[in-house]
Amino acid sequence: MEVRAVSDTVQDPSRGQSEDDDLLGSEMSGEEIAHGDALLEVDGLKKYFDQDSGLLSGVSFDPDSFPPVSVGQDHVKAVDDVNFEIRRGETLGLVGESGCGKSTLGRTILRLLEPTDGSIYFKGEDLADLSGEQLRQKRSEIQMIFQDPQSSLDPRMKIGQIIEEPMRAHGMLDDEGREARAKELLEKVGLDPHHYNRHPHAFSGGQRQRVNLARALSVNPDFVVCDEPVSALDVSIQAQVLNTMEELQEEFGLTYLFIAHDLSVIRHISDRVAVMYLGNVVELAEKEELFENPQHPYTEALLDSIPVPDPRESDARGVLEGEVPSPVNPPSGCRFRTRCPRLIAPDEYEWTDEEWYHTRAFMRAVKRRTFEPMAAAEIEAEFFGGDLPRGDPGEIVQRAIELVASDRSAGDGESGGESDAEVIGDPNVDWERATDLLLESFAERSICAQERPAYEIESEHGTETHFAACHLHR
Amino acid sequence: MSSESEPLLRVENLKTQFFTEAGTVRAVDGISFDVHEGEIVGLVGESGAGKSVASMSLLRLVESPGEIVGGEITYKGETIFGLEEGPDGELQEREDMLSNQEMRDRIRGNEIAVIFQDPMESLNPVFTVGGQLREFIELNRDLSSEQARQEAVEMLREVGIPDPEQRYDEYPHQFSGGMRQRVLIAMALACEPSLIIADEPTTALDVTVEGQIIDLVDDLQEKYGTSFIWVTHDMGVVAEICDRVNVMYLGEIVEQSPVDELFYDTKHPYTEALLDSIPRPDKTVGELDPIEGVMPEAISPPSGCRFHPRCPDAREVCQRVHPENKQVDTAEGVPHRAACVKHDAFDVGYDESVPLAKSPQVTADSSANTETSVTDPERGTAGSSGGEGSE
Repeated sequence: MEVRAVSDTVQDPSRGQSEDDDLLGSEMSGEEIAHGDALLEVDGLKKYFDQDSGLLSGVSFDPDSFPPVSVGQDHVKAVDDVNFEIRRGETLGLVGESGCGKSTLGRTILRLLEPTDGSIYFKGEDLADLSGEQLRQKRSEIQMIFQDPQSSLDPRMKIGQIIEEPMRAHGMLDDEGREARAKELLEKVGLDPHHYNRHPHAFSGGQRQRVNLARALSVNPDFVVCDEPVSALDVSIQAQVLNTMEELQEEFGLTYLFIAHDLSVIRHISDRVAVMYLGNVVELAEKEELFENPQHPYTEALLDSIPVPDPRESDARGVLEGEVPSPVNPPSGCRFRTRCPRLIAPDEYEWTDEEWYHTRAFMRAVKRRTFEPMAAAEIEAEFFGGDLPRGDPGEIVQRAIELVASDRSAGDGESGGESDAEVIGDPNVDWERATDLLLESFAERSICAQERPAYEIESEHGTETHFAACHLHR
Repeated sequence: MSSESEPLLRVENLKTQFFTEAGTVRAVDGISFDVHEGEIVGLVGESGAGKSVASMSLLRLVESPGEIVGGEITYKGETIFGLEEGPDGELQEREDMLSNQEMRDRIRGNEIAVIFQDPMESLNPVFTVGGQLREFIELNRDLSSEQARQEAVEMLREVGIPDPEQRYDEYPHQFSGGMRQRVLIAMALACEPSLIIADEPTTALDVTVEGQIIDLVDDLQEKYGTSFIWVTHDMGVVAEICDRVNVMYLGEIVEQSPVDELFYDTKHPYTEALLDSIPRPDKTVGELDPIEGVMPEAISPPSGCRFHPRCPDAREVCQRVHPENKQVDTAEGVPHRAACVKHDAFDVGYDESVPLAKSPQVTADSSANTETSVTDPERGTAGSSGGEGSE
């Protein structure tokens, strides 16, 4: 509370009238947003990166096509069409595996990265449209805390200076006022104000992260993006810092976007949670709802795979197979479909659940080449228990098996079908053709590959809507 | 896993110290534990507890200025490390201790293998993955180059790398983190060692990949009957994979018990505090209960029980008496040890002792600042309002 008193005494003439009140701490003035209303709204946000740079970047050479040289950049679609809102006073947890785009999203919201497309409405104003001085001014309202407490502090500056720097940049207070406020903040984040003149190296990791907190809070932001703020810390220190962050949120009415890969931390600190996979938000719901009633197979898999600190909890884990596909060329429709244990059967065939289950397993095994070449009969026994699916799918599977069977003879090509002529005589197992055949016949025809899912369903826990990007809810 | 049979590895009173300019760092200070056949033994603790130094000491891989200064390590009846009093009264290495040559040729890799935390740093970026694996097999198992190659491809397949013939010729940077860790597991298993030391093998990985690796280790362990020493800070992983657990704090083992008892019949306040301070994935915890302060430096450990400045149960006697890791209970024939004087096995008058007033600790506010002496004027005031310790 004293922080406010300090800033109260000094009026900064350089700031516009409407912004005067921002200096005064957690209380916000008339035009502001009430607790629980959207403070930040992200709409169709995209961030693509060029894959390479340089004079000849984007020039590719393919002797088989005409013309053989083509120009065109591949883009890494780090964040692709993301929509959500963050309400004032809440903590939105953003969770996902490394490479899913969660940090890029955080940085794009802050305009540390230039968005490729989409809007970021902060208090009704589109940050994506701002530039120059306007944007710089806005930055006093939005701050960030980084993961590595070591490299985010300048080793040659004293922590007092470090905390005062943002205030200086935004022309807040005079020298004395800044020092007083810095000391005040040190105390707020649980450090000793007498350490004002120490250098960062004199602090432990947890304490450095507190300095980071104090620096972020120095300009009195409304919104703080926290990018893995505790993942570099030991568990016991992690708990201390998390508790401090919660206290500060309450005191200053802060809104957090809390990015982390650790689901336990997310469960502890968040009000609502968004799960990201390969540049998309796949599920967003209230914390309790998301953890107790997950509706996206990816969230389920993620929750299943966390080791629970309880030796009596030894359910068989449904471990996710395969690896995250490249964001340069992500799967169509639902991006998780290539690994999804519940990929939906294509509608044009008649399936029993079991037939589809076997076929899906076989398709993926072929795609990932996880088994050794063996005789056709053995493959049938291994993946289908001897019974191939009936009808068309059965025939397609049959053809695929022949392509990868070790005992395939030249004659198999003919019985297999029309276009196999050129393969005849090829003694090698043809994984690629089998993969293509299976994917084209089955995976690509699933609704999961054809439409991008987005469904809102009713929550079992709490009253909020539950967003799940999965066609199982169609 | 019975405690009567001769253990595969026995560590007794192991001490490893680092002789630095600032003083002697007692990184590992008298730890004893054993590993039986087919068992996964956890070595748990926060950073700085000495768990990595302890595990490297087992292979005599401690580098200068570090040195193993005491204790005994016995592996399958052979002495990996042992000291005896020489004719001049000085301690000297025992006759039957394995020579460096023997350690290299017979023990490391063949008998005891290691999986490190960072798979990128453990693989050479300028050689193909297959080549490195092949070379390792060729050297350690006396196979011809071609046989070793086949064996390498076989191992890659075994650890779940798709299309191993193709990937054999790829370089480490073409593998993802999880795949690289699989390669290291393949390398560790290649010589069918009896014991694998896994030093935080899943810490750098994503949860889904971590799950895959833990499952893989489980399967392989069942198949080959390999014993593991699993070094980690993650209690979730411990619960998932370990049979018995050693909890380390500041160079000492403070609790040693089967995994179920560790979680459900916790005997040491540090273990308890550690369990209370972690957020849970399976339930929502209102307020976290952090351990106060930070771990002090091993260069000047607190007197008496090393945990007493942060311990909620600390009493006056804890400052004076240094507790050994004593058996305090038995769980299905396996001893449950804890180094805490509050248990009856210690008869030092804990019950009559006065509880310690919550005094802020000196070590808390400048753990990285060893050059600041206690006479530092700032330090005097620092204690009263505290750093990490003030919460």
